[in-house]
Amino acid sequence: MIMRQLLEVTNLSKNYGRGNYQAPVLRNINMTVCEGDFLAIMGPSGAGKTTLLNLLSTLDAPTHGSILLDGADITHMKNHELSILRRDKIGFIFQEYNLLDSMTLQDNIALPLSLNGVKSSEVIQRVAEQAKIFRLSAHLDKYPYQLSGGQKQRAASARALITKPRILFADEPTGALDSRSSRDLLTCLKTVNDAGQATILMVTHDAYSASYAKQVYLLKDGQIQCRLNRGQDRKEFYEEILSMLATLGGEQE
Amino acid sequence: MKLYTLAWSNFKRSVREFGVLVLSLAFSVFIFFNFQNIVFSDAMDVLENYNKDYIDIVTETLSVVFVVFLFFFIWYASNVFLNQRKKEIGIYIFMGLDNRRIGKLYLLESGMVGLFALAFGLVAGLAFSKLFQMILLRLSRISADVRFSFSLQSVMITSAMFLTIHGLMTLKGCHTLRTSSVLNLLSGAKQKEMKPEHRAVTTLRILAGTGILAAGYVAAWRTGDLDSLELGLAATILVIVGVYLLYSGLIPAVLRALTRSKGYLYKKQRTLWVNSLAFRIKKNYRTYAMVTVLMISAVTVLAVSIAMQQRYERMVWFDQTYTYQIISSHEWDGEEICEGIEEDNEVSYWNSFRLLLMDASVFDSRFQNMSGVVSYSQVKEAAGRAGLDFTWPEPGAYEAIDVSHEIMMSFVDEDRAGEKITIDGETYELLGSTKTPYLGNLQTYMNLAIVSDAAFERLHALAENGRAVENWVYNYRIAVPENVDASRPYLTGLAERSEDGSVYTGVNFTDPLNRDTSWVCVMYSLCLFLFATFVLAGGSIMFLKTGNDVYEDHERYQVLCRLGIPRRILGKSVRSEICFTYCCPFVLTVLTSWFSVRALGNVMKEDLFQVNLWSAGAILVLFTLVCAFSVRMARRKLLG
Repeated sequence: MIMRQLLEVTNLSKNYGRGNYQAPVLRNINMTVCEGDFLAIMGPSGAGKTTLLNLLSTLDAPTHGSILLDGADITHMKNHELSILRRDKIGFIFQEYNLLDSMTLQDNIALPLSLNGVKSSEVIQRVAEQAKIFRLSAHLDKYPYQLSGGQKQRAASARALITKPRILFADEPTGALDSRSSRDLLTCLKTVNDAGQATILMVTHDAYSASYAKQVYLLKDGQIQCRLNRGQDRKEFYEEILSMLATLGGEQE
Repeated sequence: MKLYTLAWSNFKRSVREFGVLVLSLAFSVFIFFNFQNIVFSDAMDVLENYNKDYIDIVTETLSVVFVVFLFFFIWYASNVFLNQRKKEIGIYIFMGLDNRRIGKLYLLESGMVGLFALAFGLVAGLAFSKLFQMILLRLSRISADVRFSFSLQSVMITSAMFLTIHGLMTLKGCHTLRTSSVLNLLSGAKQKEMKPEHRAVTTLRILAGTGILAAGYVAAWRTGDLDSLELGLAATILVIVGVYLLYSGLIPAVLRALTRSKGYLYKKQRTLWVNSLAFRIKKNYRTYAMVTVLMISAVTVLAVSIAMQQRYERMVWFDQTYTYQIISSHEWDGEEICEGIEEDNEVSYWNSFRLLLMDASVFDSRFQNMSGVVSYSQVKEAAGRAGLDFTWPEPGAYEAIDVSHEIMMSFVDEDRAGEKITIDGETYELLGSTKTPYLGNLQTYMNLAIVSDAAFERLHALAENGRAVENWVYNYRIAVPENVDASRPYLTGLAERSEDGSVYTGVNFTDPLNRDTSWVCVMYSLCLFLFATFVLAGGSIMFLKTGNDVYEDHERYQVLCRLGIPRRILGKSVRSEICFTYCCPFVLTVLTSWFSVRALGNVMKEDLFQVNLWSAGAILVLFTLVCAFSVRMARRKLLG
């Protein structure tokens, strides 16, 4: 099956600092993300994982190179256009959940739709669907402080996916979760990915989390060192990631 | 870095970041100093001692009210300052500072803020004291030259008052910091949980709040005269309690109901701001209630001053209806006197009437002073010549009209319709009372009644047998009352008194520059200032509260921006939330003050509806400005 290209990154570089005091963080990154992909980016501390995610998700601008999302170069877009792009095509999951403590889970999940003027009846229906996928139906009336970390992260994922974004960026989504909550979240993400409902690009330092992805990019010193593709078995893939990490010898975050 | 250097650096930043707080504190010092300066400086000595004493009493009373208000205001402002600093102060713990040293740091910082506000307020107060007094006198319509004047005593009292209150609040802040846990400090005052409340408690609050407030309104509605002042007191207490319960019961319940109604909530981008309001109202309700009560008090203070001002103006008009009043035991030629006056003054109008004077043994009424009667047709004619409205029907044979005068402070029911008076053993029923100065200042000093022409002739017999004295009264109004003294020599020449007192002529002069009651005007102006101060304080409290909420919201809006929610929508949400917070106290103030001012109008027998209109307009203008400023500040801080 030929997958359609969604994200195309060409010669992407990012330097911090000015003039003669520039420090390169990313160097000539080239990668392609197709519809239905589930990518994990791994690497040691300072490898440039989060910088890469910030560039791809429009939160930061590159020094060189281009990023085409759905054929449009996001590196030349104005703030207003980027805001519309983030609203319509991009979903985010953060390590710290970032749910609003002033509203219930239902309202948190509904927020992007309700603020974008979608009809109330449709908002309610789509929230119910997302809640079912992420197994949150019983918690919709609760406030974030009444939920566990795993439930909050699943809610954040539901909120990110409710607008049906073209791509979901996840920055260390399991970083603050215990192993069981991590597994629950990753299972949910894999389910929506397998169902063709989401293309996911995840940054993680955790080999176990990365093993849920279809492809893993290993980043070191601002460059992609290698790419691993998953076979049928997740456990084998996990072992493969661990051995590659050991080979690269990078210190994990 | 030494503790003092750190405190100094923090203070400089505080002045920049918490400018509104520092300005509010300085403004309170400014106003209080000017109030005190009126009492202790000799600037108001342009008024006579009699007035100065009254003005001092009024100013001191208002100062006490002001101190009570300042106590709560400084308390509130200090809390806002402390809450916003808690997180930063908490971080100092990781820098190795213990709670004792952190307390000392806060003491130094707060002390610097206090001293700066005091110095700024005093310097501004001194610089503008002459202007303040000039505005005061101008508003009071007193023309006098004001010279720059201040007393050290007023500086000392203002400093002592401010430093005591601010010092107490600083010590309280120190105690809070010393006893707070690190976690509490690091999380600042940020609310993290929707405060749960049992349904029964909510129901009770709603029922009690609406019930008590409604009872307060009913009590205010029924407040009508001196006898119902207890109702007025009850209304005051009920309204204050009701407002607090309304903000903690009904309004949160309505907001929570709105958040539950998803069909409503998800329309028109309401999710964010309605949820935010519902989340915060439990924490903020005391502030909203305090601002509402403050505003209602401000409007009521304004109503009191305007009621007294209205009375004062009517008293002035009453006094100046006639410039000269001649009372004599024998008849004069009124036209001839008029010509005499016109040698120095133009006479606008004049009239005359016969008056039968009698003592309490003949004219028995509830008042014991000298009494008298005049005939209906003479008063009617006199009123016509003076251009005064006269719509009374002629009394029957045993009926009369009470002729009264304006009193500054009277809560007594002044309409005596149906009351009985006894003249020479015969009972007369009063048709009503009039305060129109048909008989001039005689009405102020005598107990007078208008009887029918027939009754007057019948009572005239008393004069023939010595039980009453017939007098002739001549009233003149000149075109330029300020020129009253020009005719004084001529009129003084008419005055006479025989040795046995049976023949006499007396002349009464009305001086328009007489300042006996001009303290009322000064009180009116001071109340206007108090109104303006309370309203400004209400506005600044709302501004500080909004600033505090914005401080808490910063991270939340950062997330929303990263989620791609357009800034336009977020800006709209910020505006809606802030507008609601200003709207609620405004609506409740306008509604409640309508009842309070009506009650006051009933008690003081004044029509004060214009007070409702003007005060609502003034508060609306100020709140709109402060609200717009708050929205701008919030958008700048939240959305960059």
